[in-house]
Amino acid sequence: MYLVADISVEICAAKSCKLCTQYCPEANTIQYSDEMGKEQGFKYGSAYVAVDRCKGCAQCVWVCDNMAKNNAIKMIMIDQLPKAALTDNITYGEKSTTAVLASPVVG
Amino acid sequence: MSLDYVKFSNGFEKFMPKEYRDMVEHGPFGKKVTVSQMGSFKEVLEEHPMCAGCAMTLFIRLAMIAFPNPEDTITVGTAGCGRLAISQAAIPFVYGNYGDQNGVASGLSRGLRLRFGDKPKDVVVMAGDGGTADIGFQQVLHSWFRKERFTTIMLDNEVYGNTGGQESGMTNRGAVLKMAPLGKKFEKMDMLQMAKVAGCAYVATVVPNNPRRVESVIKKAVLIAREVGSTYIQAYTSCNIEYAIPTDKVMEDAKTVENDRYQFTEYVSEEAKQYLTERYGYKEFLAKPAAPAAAIPGKA
Repeated sequence: MYLVADISVEICAAKSCKLCTQYCPEANTIQYSDEMGKEQGFKYGSAYVAVDRCKGCAQCVWVCDNMAKNNAIKMIMIDQLPKAALTDNITYGEKSTTAVLASPVVG
Repeated sequence: MSLDYVKFSNGFEKFMPKEYRDMVEHGPFGKKVTVSQMGSFKEVLEEHPMCAGCAMTLFIRLAMIAFPNPEDTITVGTAGCGRLAISQAAIPFVYGNYGDQNGVASGLSRGLRLRFGDKPKDVVVMAGDGGTADIGFQQVLHSWFRKERFTTIMLDNEVYGNTGGQESGMTNRGAVLKMAPLGKKFEKMDMLQMAKVAGCAYVATVVPNNPRRVESVIKKAVLIAREVGSTYIQAYTSCNIEYAIPTDKVMEDAKTVENDRYQFTEYVSEEAKQYLTERYGYKEFLAKPAAPAAAIPGKA
């Protein structure tokens, strides 16, 4: 098993700085959804990780902790994530994306 | 090289993989996208085999977003880490022999002008410090002296990272590497000064810990290269393997190096300033209004 980044929607949606989407070295890995936070009652949306593309470098963790000072991202073993976004389940919209969460291991 | 090549052939749409469909329907082609929209649209860069946490990958990702017209751009590269990612993008990529990327780009750029006339077709060279400052040095410098109209971007990781850590001309003096155990005995080459002497219209240094700045610098360089002359960007893109930087500290290292020896610098020739202002509406080069004369104490 290996580590992937996991973003806490509760913390991210409170600030929604989008810095991690700009600093991830992998393309289309940290995505942004307008709905993800709003459906839980937050004002903004949240960033989320397409875990099948994440290489586990933890650069986003440093950016979130030190530049944004949010501490919203943690590295978690992929089989311990309850549900996560996978590239196949992500749909692009005009200005945002939506993701149907699924088991990261089974799909 | 137009919006025509980023679409489905009749009847093939349902057979195309999801990534391709996303690219056609939600990619940046024919639109204006910025780094602040990252994570909301399909990027031209796809999955690639570069190391986890590589700053060079981040820079390439930002560069691909910054291209003013990605549908009318060709990238040229050479041996080195960068080509592993640059080639995995929905932008045509030409792979030269080691060091001849600026020669290839010269011919390509001239050929595109003959074929398409005034319609902008951008050629962007992205090569490492070895390809640009060592093995390709002669062709790089000659293309600048000839004022070839394309952009040269050096992905400066200060080492031959792909072959086990040999010193390059851009390695700092005293740096000890796996294949340079005695430490480098010479200074880092001053490619910025050489670019200015050779007549480049735009010369800039940048570090990828400031995405908006990377975007702005690349846009300016590509636009100036359309008509004014050669442009050169030198980007610090650390090699976390050869310099043993933990992947989660790559941006911390970029910040340290930026403060130490890679401060943002930008040289824009007078002709290029005028071109950007008049043709693309840049306001930053307009003459600032004269400050009001200082009041003389004691006088009304």
